[in-house]
Amino acid sequence: MKNYSRRDFLKTSGVACGGLVLSSGLLHAQGNPKDKVNIAIVGYGKEGEVLVDSLLKIPNLNFVAVCDIWKPRLTMAFVRIFREKKQKAARYEDYKDLIAKHAKDLDAVVIATPDFWHSPMTVDFLKAGVNVYCEKMMSDTVEGAKAMVRAARESKKLLQIGHQRKSNPRYIYARDVLLHKNNICGDIMACNGQWNRAVTKDVTCAPKVVIPQETLNKYGYKDMHQFLNWRWYKGLGGGAISDLGAHQIDIFGWMLGARPTRVMASGNKDYYKKDWDDNVMCIFDFDKTFQGRKAQVFYQVLTTTSSGGGYFETFMGDKGTLKMSENPGISKLFREAEAPKWEPLVNQGIIGKSNASDAVAAVDVRESAALASYDFPENIPGFEKNKPIHMYHLENFINAVLGKEALNCDGEHAFEAEAAVFKAREAIEKGPLDFEDADFVVSD
Amino acid sequence: MKKIILLFCAFACVALSASAAKLKIKLPEAQLVGTEVPIKIENLEREAPPPEIEVPDGVTNLAKGKKVTSSDDFPLIGELELITDGEKDSSEGYYVIIADGLQWVQIDLEKSAELYAIALWHYHVQKRAYKDVIVQVSDDPEFKKGVTTIFNNDHDNSAKLGKGTDKHYVDSHYGKLFVINPPVKARYVRFYSNGNTATADNNYVEVEVYGK
Repeated sequence: MKNYSRRDFLKTSGVACGGLVLSSGLLHAQGNPKDKVNIAIVGYGKEGEVLVDSLLKIPNLNFVAVCDIWKPRLTMAFVRIFREKKQKAARYEDYKDLIAKHAKDLDAVVIATPDFWHSPMTVDFLKAGVNVYCEKMMSDTVEGAKAMVRAARESKKLLQIGHQRKSNPRYIYARDVLLHKNNICGDIMACNGQWNRAVTKDVTCAPKVVIPQETLNKYGYKDMHQFLNWRWYKGLGGGAISDLGAHQIDIFGWMLGARPTRVMASGNKDYYKKDWDDNVMCIFDFDKTFQGRKAQVFYQVLTTTSSGGGYFETFMGDKGTLKMSENPGISKLFREAEAPKWEPLVNQGIIGKSNASDAVAAVDVRESAALASYDFPENIPGFEKNKPIHMYHLENFINAVLGKEALNCDGEHAFEAEAAVFKAREAIEKGPLDFEDADFVVSD
Repeated sequence: MKKIILLFCAFACVALSASAAKLKIKLPEAQLVGTEVPIKIENLEREAPPPEIEVPDGVTNLAKGKKVTSSDDFPLIGELELITDGEKDSSEGYYVIIADGLQWVQIDLEKSAELYAIALWHYHVQKRAYKDVIVQVSDDPEFKKGVTTIFNNDHDNSAKLGKGTDKHYVDSHYGKLFVINPPVKARYVRFYSNGNTATADNNYVEVEVYGK
């Protein structure tokens, strides 16, 4: 049983828990500077917690400081890091104080705050010479996202955006080996995807942990409800199409190797009656995919139903279909009845075995025969069954900071992906919109 | 260590005195948020409301407001008192997280009582199954003698408290009702766990111990 008593903690840390505890970055000096990364965490909400859980599993990180305006969460981050690493991260409410005190010692920062803070924080850290991993969406505004890209260019520091599928070995395998090398789907003429969630209530908290009004106002929130439910508010977040859709819309362009050329979208605010839409359905046209073909992508994000089997992206070709999800249990391959047999691919270990029992006989002559499904192969290079899904992307960032790898989703490429999301949001208001090249690039 | 046979039929009935009444447990509202994390664990039972049981007149929640101790006196977030404060909301400020690994929390009912049922809510904002859930009662605060195991789903005996045969279950707003039949006399109730299917955390929202 792993035990650290309050007394042990106080003895070891040599400080009382209260006020700012200053960290020294001593580990950086003691270890091999080439392998040791001094890191700070800004934002320890649910997403920050997920990221820190993964970061704690990555060796050679020295947690210099943590920052959050919510004291219980800040303390939780501090205690968790202390328990796992025996490192005393300094605690800050205001990230500007963290920069002032620690920027010179920091190699990297991980930002997981509400969207509207991403841009100013990222720009300030980059300007201070710190490499940044920032959660997506890059910003709640196009201009905010552009400012991040420009700051990365000017500072020549690394900027990784949290589109974590780009580092997931299963996704990389699906794109490079299944779609591009083996052309398993044939000509991909259509895609669809969804992220459907059952109705949820607004997030609340116990009265005793409510942030003082003055603090809320200082950091841009009208009240605690807005702080807890920022994703629904214009000026703070971007709604479900940003929170959930951005991950998947990114993947369509990445897998198809192209930018969309047109978007039409429809939104509905009638259920929750919030600033952003409860449900969004959109269609992206791609005029030239990696196969030189036109393709249409239908995407929906629904927050009023869990119908339809969770979250996935499907690539539908004339020979077969690839259904991808971060949840391996949902991922499948389907061969068209008239397509060449896939047994050679099974025998070579490129795909897994067939699930013949999944196929259902056609009930009507007008229907196509049902498709036999195949699993992904047992062994995908780099994929570890029990590894948290965010960890690959964080490892890629840390390795890039150490000069060992290139980033899998730098600011420029993330902006390209998120441009499609910004435009889809705009299309809800304005009707179908054409993309221009300028939509995807940030001018100097 | 005596293993109690639990009855999980729809209308489990405990040994009754002449006068009995249905045990009324106030369930919190369902409050799931975020993306579900796949629950990968063997021997998982289907999620269901707690069974309806009858208990003798005079049976009440003896745990409310009682002192809670733990193998970890320095929670990651929250305080141990939250476990018996009567509040089953699972939002921020209503739950406690103790250290990861095998840990326990213990409630002192202040005097020995006939125990008929125990209800437990670990955390229900996200669907999870907690691992190595072991519920024991005893009159010994050290749990060295006179220990009765009420529930144990530690199938590989990793907790070294005996191999359990009870199923894993999904923690939800329904919580988990452990029916004690026949009732057992005890002063202390101890809950073990060893993380869950989503995180390494050991969370507790609320415990109710029904007895008289």
